[in-house]
Amino acid sequence: MSSITSAPTTSSTGMADFNRTTSRWGQITMIAGLLISIAGPLYLVFFGGLDIAAAQLWIAFAAVAATFGIIWIVEPLTYYPILGPAGMYQAFMIGNISSKLLPAALIAQTNIGAKPGSKRAELAAVVAICGAAVVHLFSLAFFVGLLGTWLISVIPPSVLLVTRLYVLPAVLGAVLVQAIVSMKQPRTTVFALLVSAVVVFVVLPLVPSLAMVSTAIVVLGTILLSWILRVKRFPAAPAIRQE
Amino acid sequence: MALANNPVLWICVAGVFGVIIIQSVIFMNAARRAAPSVGMSTQDIKTSFRSGAVSAIGPSLAVCLVAIALLGLFGAPAVLVRIGLIGSAAYEVSAASVSAGTMGAKLGDASYTQSVFAVAFFVMSIGGAMWMLATLILTPLLRKGDAKIRSVNPAAMAIVPAAALIGAFSCLGLTELPKSGTHLLSFAVSAAVMGVCLLLAKRLGTSWLREWGLGFSIVVGLIAAYLAVGA
Repeated sequence: MSSITSAPTTSSTGMADFNRTTSRWGQITMIAGLLISIAGPLYLVFFGGLDIAAAQLWIAFAAVAATFGIIWIVEPLTYYPILGPAGMYQAFMIGNISSKLLPAALIAQTNIGAKPGSKRAELAAVVAICGAAVVHLFSLAFFVGLLGTWLISVIPPSVLLVTRLYVLPAVLGAVLVQAIVSMKQPRTTVFALLVSAVVVFVVLPLVPSLAMVSTAIVVLGTILLSWILRVKRFPAAPAIRQE
Repeated sequence: MALANNPVLWICVAGVFGVIIIQSVIFMNAARRAAPSVGMSTQDIKTSFRSGAVSAIGPSLAVCLVAIALLGLFGAPAVLVRIGLIGSAAYEVSAASVSAGTMGAKLGDASYTQSVFAVAFFVMSIGGAMWMLATLILTPLLRKGDAKIRSVNPAAMAIVPAAALIGAFSCLGLTELPKSGTHLLSFAVSAAVMGVCLLLAKRLGTSWLREWGLGFSIVVGLIAAYLAVGA
C-alpha cells in the first residue's frame, strides 16, 4: 500500500490512526492466534481416541499455573515500556522476545537514529518486528518443518531414542545456568537450589505422592525465603530475560 | 507418536503462521501510513524492516536448532507452534515436564504415552494462551497509563519473578538427576557448556554466543549422553 503520498496528516491524527488500527487488529489477530493455538491440543484431547479425564487436565494445568502463573502477568508488564502497545500484540504471538525481537527493534532504532521513547522509535520497532517475523517464519518452515522432519526420518533410531530420553536434562541444565546468570540474584539462587535439593532428594523419596506438586512447592518456598530474608534497599527491578 | 503428527495439528500450525503473516501486513501498512506524520521517510521504513530482518537471522537459526533437538519429543507441529513461535523452549519444556509429572509419567521414557503427550501439549498451549490473555488485558490498561499497575512494589517486582523462575528451573533440573547416570551427565555437560558460552560472551563481548548458547548446550549434552550410552 503506498498511501504515503496521500493527504498530509498531522502528527497527532497520523499516530491516532496507527494506534487505532494496531490496537483493534492487534487484539483481533491475537485472539485468533490464541484460539487456533489451543484448537490443536483440544482436538487431540477430545477426538484423539485417548482416554483423558477432565480432572487430569485441570490438575496438570493447576501445577503449571502454580509454577509460572506469576510470570504470565509479570512478563507483559516488564516488556510494555520497551515494546509499546502495538509491539506487545506482535511480540507475545511471535515469541522469543528477549533473544530475537528486542535486539531487532533496538538495531532498527539505532540505524535510523530514532530516540528511544519517540514516535519514530515506536514505528521503527513495529516495522523491525515485522521484518524479524518474516525471517523467523521462513526459517522455521524451512529448517524445522521441512529439513527437521526429513532429518528425523533419516537419523538412526538409536540416536532418536537418545534424543528423546536425554533432551530434557540437556535443556534444563542450560536453562538453569542461563536463568541464574541473567537474574544476577545470588541469594535467591542459593535459596532456590537449597529448597529444590531438599524437596527432590529428601521430601520426595519420603513422600512420593508429592511429586505432582513438587515444582509448585519449590517455587512458593523460594519466593517466601527470598522475600523474608531479602536485603533491604533492593536495586531496581531487572528485566526478565529468560527466553 | 503418530498422534503428534496428526493432520489437524498441521492445519493449526498453518493457521498460526497465517495469523502472524496477516498481522504483520496490517501493522506494516499502518506504520507506513503513520510514518510521514512523525517525520519518518520511506527509506527509514525500509531500513527498519531490513535491520529487523537481518538481526533476526542469527537468533532465529538458534531457535531452529533448539526446536530440531526437541522434534523427537514433541513432534513437528507442537514444536513449531510452541517452541518456534508463541512460547520458548525453557517454558514449554518445563510446562510439559510438570504436567507429565502430574500423571506420574516422565517425558521421553516408556511412561510417555500418547495421553501424556496430549495432556502436556494441552497444558503448554493453555499456558501460552494465559500469556496472550495477560497481554490482551494489560496492554489497554497500560496504554491508559494506569498508575496502579506500574506502582507495584519495586522490591517485590525484583525478587518474586526471579525467585519463581530460578525456583522452577532448579526444581525441574534437579528432578532429572536421580533418573540415571546418563541424565546426570547430560544435565552437567549442558550446564557447563552454557556456563562457558555465557562467560566467553561476556569476556569477548560477543552476543551471538549468548543466542546460540542454548542450542550448543543441548547438542553437546546429547552427544555426551549418546557416547555414554554407547560406551
